[in-house]
Amino acid sequence: MTNVLTAISHPTRRAIIGQLAHGPVRFLDVAKPFDTALNAVSKHLKLLERAGLIERRKQGREVYISFRGEPLREVAGWVHEYERFWNERLDQFEHYFKDKKK
Amino acid sequence: MKNSNKMLEFKFERTIPAPPGEVFDAWLNPEIPGNPWNAAEKFILDPRVDGLFYWTLKRTSHYGRFTEMERPGRIQHTWMSPKTLGQESIVTLTFKKQGEDTLMTLVHSDLPDHELARGHEKGWNYFLDIFPRQFGNGSRKER
Repeated sequence: MTNVLTAISHPTRRAIIGQLAHGPVRFLDVAKPFDTALNAVSKHLKLLERAGLIERRKQGREVYISFRGEPLREVAGWVHEYERFWNERLDQFEHYFKDKKK
Repeated sequence: MKNSNKMLEFKFERTIPAPPGEVFDAWLNPEIPGNPWNAAEKFILDPRVDGLFYWTLKRTSHYGRFTEMERPGRIQHTWMSPKTLGQESIVTLTFKKQGEDTLMTLVHSDLPDHELARGHEKGWNYFLDIFPRQFGNGSRKER
């Protein structure tokens, strides 16, 4: 799970996931929209791969990268009922005082 | 987390723009939005050591007993619900003066790690809600 959270913690990696959401993309095309060096994109892809969020598949000479959603669903499952409950309650409580102060 | 005996603990912090005494009192006042009793459809609240509380929302009942009550710094009570599998979990609140504000900390501990309490569906929706916002702040370039 830590790997997944690390993987989605960086804006470039979230943007890569966004790119892959529509279907597999060639490795070179994944790198195209970014200003960063190919090497840096490659590092981002390695982190995403380690988290199980992407898969590489060789097709002829090309390497295609595709997105796997399952690890994200597992992370989502980790939001405990009480984590959500207290956050909602405390947000309301805080807002009450902030509004009162205005 | 397959070990069902494992206990979970969650910690939350908020900075509240009021002095600790006022925040402490507000937390125990069912009229104030945000405390657990304010959300309840029915409740009983006796906020003193060994006093009991009960509240119910959407047919889910919560019970507890107050174990510490030190105005304005600290409240501790137990917390039982179907999500704690009938076991007593512990909620500890502290209120610390921070300039003109109060640093409020809530720790919910001794929560059994159980499938019932993980709220998969809700969690997923929650995640879906926040994820697009993160995308929006990303460095993605449109082709």
